Formats: sequence, C-alpha cells, structure tokens
Amino acid sequence: MSAVKLMTLVRKEWLEQLRSFKLIWIPLVFALLGIMQPLTNYYMPVIIEKAGNMPEGAVIEMPVPSGAEVLAGTLSQFGMIGLLILALAFMGAVSGDRNSGAASLVLVKPVSFLSFILSKWLGMMTLLWGALLIGYAASWYYTWLLFETVDFAPFLLSYVLYGLWFTFILTAVLLFSTLLRSAAGAAFSALGLALLLTALSGIAPKYMGWSPSSLTGFAYEAVQGGFDASASFGWSIGVTILLIAAGIAGSSALLRRQPALD
Amino acid sequence: MKELLQVNGLVKAFGQAQAVKGISFHIQEGRCTALLGPNGAGKTTTIRMLTGLLKPTAGSIQFHGLRAGEDRRSLLGYLPQSPAFHNWMSGMEYVVYAGRLCGLSPAEAKQRAKELLERVGLAEAAKRRIGGYSGGMKQRLGLAQALVHRPKLLVMDEPVSALDPIGRREVLGLLKELKSETTVLFSTHVLHDAEELCDDVIIIRSGQVALQGALPQIRSEHRRPIIELKLEEHAPSLEWAAGFEQRTSADERLSATIEEIERQGTMLRLTVKDMDKARQALTEELAKEKVRFSRLEAGYSSLEDLFMKVVGE
Repeated sequence: MSAVKLMTLVRKEWLEQLRSFKLIWIPLVFALLGIMQPLTNYYMPVIIEKAGNMPEGAVIEMPVPSGAEVLAGTLSQFGMIGLLILALAFMGAVSGDRNSGAASLVLVKPVSFLSFILSKWLGMMTLLWGALLIGYAASWYYTWLLFETVDFAPFLLSYVLYGLWFTFILTAVLLFSTLLRSAAGAAFSALGLALLLTALSGIAPKYMGWSPSSLTGFAYEAVQGGFDASASFGWSIGVTILLIAAGIAGSSALLRRQPALD
Repeated sequence: MKELLQVNGLVKAFGQAQAVKGISFHIQEGRCTALLGPNGAGKTTTIRMLTGLLKPTAGSIQFHGLRAGEDRRSLLGYLPQSPAFHNWMSGMEYVVYAGRLCGLSPAEAKQRAKELLERVGLAEAAKRRIGGYSGGMKQRLGLAQALVHRPKLLVMDEPVSALDPIGRREVLGLLKELKSETTVLFSTHVLHDAEELCDDVIIIRSGQVALQGALPQIRSEHRRPIIELKLEEHAPSLEWAAGFEQRTSADERLSATIEEIERQGTMLRLTVKDMDKARQALTEELAKEKVRFSRLEAGYSSLEDLFMKVVGE
C-alpha cells in the first residue's frame, strides 16, 4: 500500500463530494440541526402559547433548560436525523462504483484493495467529523447566546464520543455497501444495526456497557459534566475501535475476494 | 522473440458450470493476438482472470520480466467492453488520476495525459465532463487511461463491439498504430477485426482452445481448394446437381478427388483434394450432361470458412 496512491484516491473522493455537493449540503444540514435545537428550546413557551389550543387561563411554566441539556438534545437530534442523512449519502460508496464498473477500472491498476476501501472510509470520515463539528459548534454558539456557556472540555469530549459512535455506524455502512449490491440495503442494514444496538442498550444497560451504542450515553453524561470513567467506558471505546478496524479489514477482504460484480 | 505471458490450464467454474475449461496459451512480446470466439465462449472470463478481476479456479498466469514482489497489474493496461468512468470528472482529470494510481509523478502524469488525449483525438474535449462523451469518445478515453503507464501488455475486451461504424473505424485505426508499440491482446467475436489487426489468433469455443497460432500459418495450413458452381434455374440441371451429389459418395473415382459437397439452392460448393483432377472431372461432367451453369469458380477456402467450421462444430 502506498501513501501517495492512497492520497490520490482520497483526493478523488473529496472531489466527488464537492462536485456532487455533498461537501456543502451535509455540513449545512448539520449546522441547521445544531441551530434548531437551542432555538426551539428557547422559544418553546412562545410556540406553545401561540399554538392557541391551550385552555383559557392556563399558565405555562417550563423550567429553563441548562446549556448542557440543550447540547445533549442537539446530539440526540444528530443521532437520528444526522445519522440517517450520512447513511443515505454514503450507502453506495462501494456498491455504486462496483455496479457501474468504475471500480474495476481502478482495481486493474496496481492499487491495493485496502487502499481503495481506506480511501472511501477516509472520505466519509472527513465529511462526518467536519459536519458534526460544524453542527455541534453552531449549537454550542447559539446555546451560549440564548442560555449559558458550556465549558469547552465537556463539549469536546462529547463531540469525540459521539463522533466515534458515528464512525462505527458509517464503517458498518461501508462494510454492507461492499457486501451487498443494493445501496438501499446497505443503508438500512447499517441503520438497523444502530437501532438494534441502541435498543439493546436501553433494555439491558447493565450488560451492554461494552457496546458502541453506550458511547451515546457517555456523550450525554460528558456534556452534562456528570461523567466518571467507569470500567465499561474503557470497554466500549476499545470494542468500538476494534470493530471499526475489523469492519475496514472485512470490507477489504470482501473486495479482494470479488473485485468486480459485473 | 521473447515470451511475455504464459497461461497454463486456466479454469474458471461458476458453481457447477465451467465457463473456462483449461485454456493454455502464450503471448510473444510485440505481437498482436486476438482471442476469437462466439458469444459465451469464455473470452471475457479469460480476460478478467488475466487482469486479476476474477480469481481462477485452477491454472496459472505467468508474466515474464516481472520483478520479485512486483504487481502483475503494473504491466497491464486494461480496457473493458464498455468502460465506466466517473461522469463528474473531465477526460483530462481521469487520465491524470489513472496515471497517479499507476505510480507516475504529478508532472509525469499530466504530461502523459496530454500526449495520450492528443493521440486518441480527445484534446478538444479534454476539459469537458465525461458524462457528455459519446460511446466512441469513452472508448478512446478508455484507451488513453489504459496506456498511461506504458504497459507491456494492453488487454482489451471487445474493444469495438459496442460502437457504431464510425466509432469502430476510429478505434480500429488507433489500434493499428498502437500495435507497433506494445503487445496487444484483445477479444472479439468478429473475425474480420481479428484478420485486420492481428498476428496471432486463439480461437476458443465453449471454454476451450479450438485452434491457435500465427494467422498466416493457420491460413496456409487449413486452406482447402474449393470449387463453386452456380447453376441456372433449369430443372434438368438442378436434377443433375442432386444426382451428382449422391453419386460422389458412391463413385470411387469422384470421392477420391472430391472431399465434400454442399448444395444450397442453385449453389454447389465442392471441397476438393486434388484441384486439377477435380476440375477435369467436373468440366467433363458438365459438358456431357449439358448443365447450364452461370458461374464456375475455383479458389481457396477463407478464414471465415475455417472459423465457422471450428466454432460451429
């Protein structure tokens, strides 16, 4: 595997993201999601009042959320809508190139299969971590304007933990996109995996502490400042990183076994 | 002459079905070789195994002059039947990208891309998006990207089959120039293309090599003298033809000179063993029976006849 060839492939991924406007609209959507959360929290009492279906004389009393709560809310928005958008944007990462035959033109050149997969993965990662940072920072800024400041350290820690969970799911998208011909199948398999893990963590948090999905819980705790590094925290990070590495290696092996589909 | 590629007992099975059943051949450096065969003979499968896109079930592919640890793919240029590019790239960008993937430096890749696009006649369209290219232009771009790293062997799968007559001419013209510079292997089901371009042919049929060798050699070895006779629409003459066909197999003197008779309507086609004797016997027969013929021609069987015979069996 040569670093120069890998960079050539990654640059091609970036150019593709730019020309297909993914590089623009995905960060935009994340920024929008990030701004929406503090705004809706701030104006909720007004919205409910103006909705007009409250009984006469009802008094609305809502506790003002803390800045940390607003940011946790933002993260959970990202976790649903943001994840859906990313999975849909990258669902054809490998299968698209393979189905069209574009992959076979690249893979007859002296390029390693791992480079090909890694370039797709790195392309996803730069967009994911960038968009997440833009969206989350926007939310942080508006929370500071409308509510209160949240310290930088908890903000950063929660960003990294949530990003790691996203990385795990997008690696699953990549793996399924190498395994399956259908792009939609890849997106829904990965999203199904995310849902399943999240549900399992909800049902049996005690036994699922090691699961990547518990990273989201740790991220909420981290931003709210009540975070203590338990044993399962280390486990979940270790397991997640291991699974990500296995996902990349697995995709590369699948590609090697059958470089072209047509 | 140096040997470039040696293929031994190549087999590819898809489940129970064997698409390629033990193909062996070798390619000499500097030659142009056609892999000729009808659709479904296993041409594409063979080519994809050569390029490494498909793993052979059994057999070996050996490149001579490959340094230890070197990737076979670095010596190969490959053009698939209908190459798929990234439509959002420009032609220039794609060839530079291909060059970089083959290990050229940025400046070198750019230089080569410029040369090659000029060469394949895409200089004008180099800056346009590939999405707007015609089929012929894409095929020529495919050639440019396959040649960017000066491969030792250029492998093409049905390079002209999907093109209209004009695109075909363009690509065939290019190939004629290219074959003097590099070793070429391409598959085709059109005999004419192979005859026009190639030094060697490998005819394959249902996954096996039916015949291979240098084209002039095959031509002379398998060339048979034939006589073609066309009759008028005249009942007694046609009756004679039918009778003559039957008599040939029975009559010893006739069957010693005439190997095979094919009759189609008013056409008689005789494959003969000894041209002089057969000509003598036939003209005597024609004069005696007062056969009304409109044309009598003596000649040799074409490569097409051989191809049909080999492939049709």
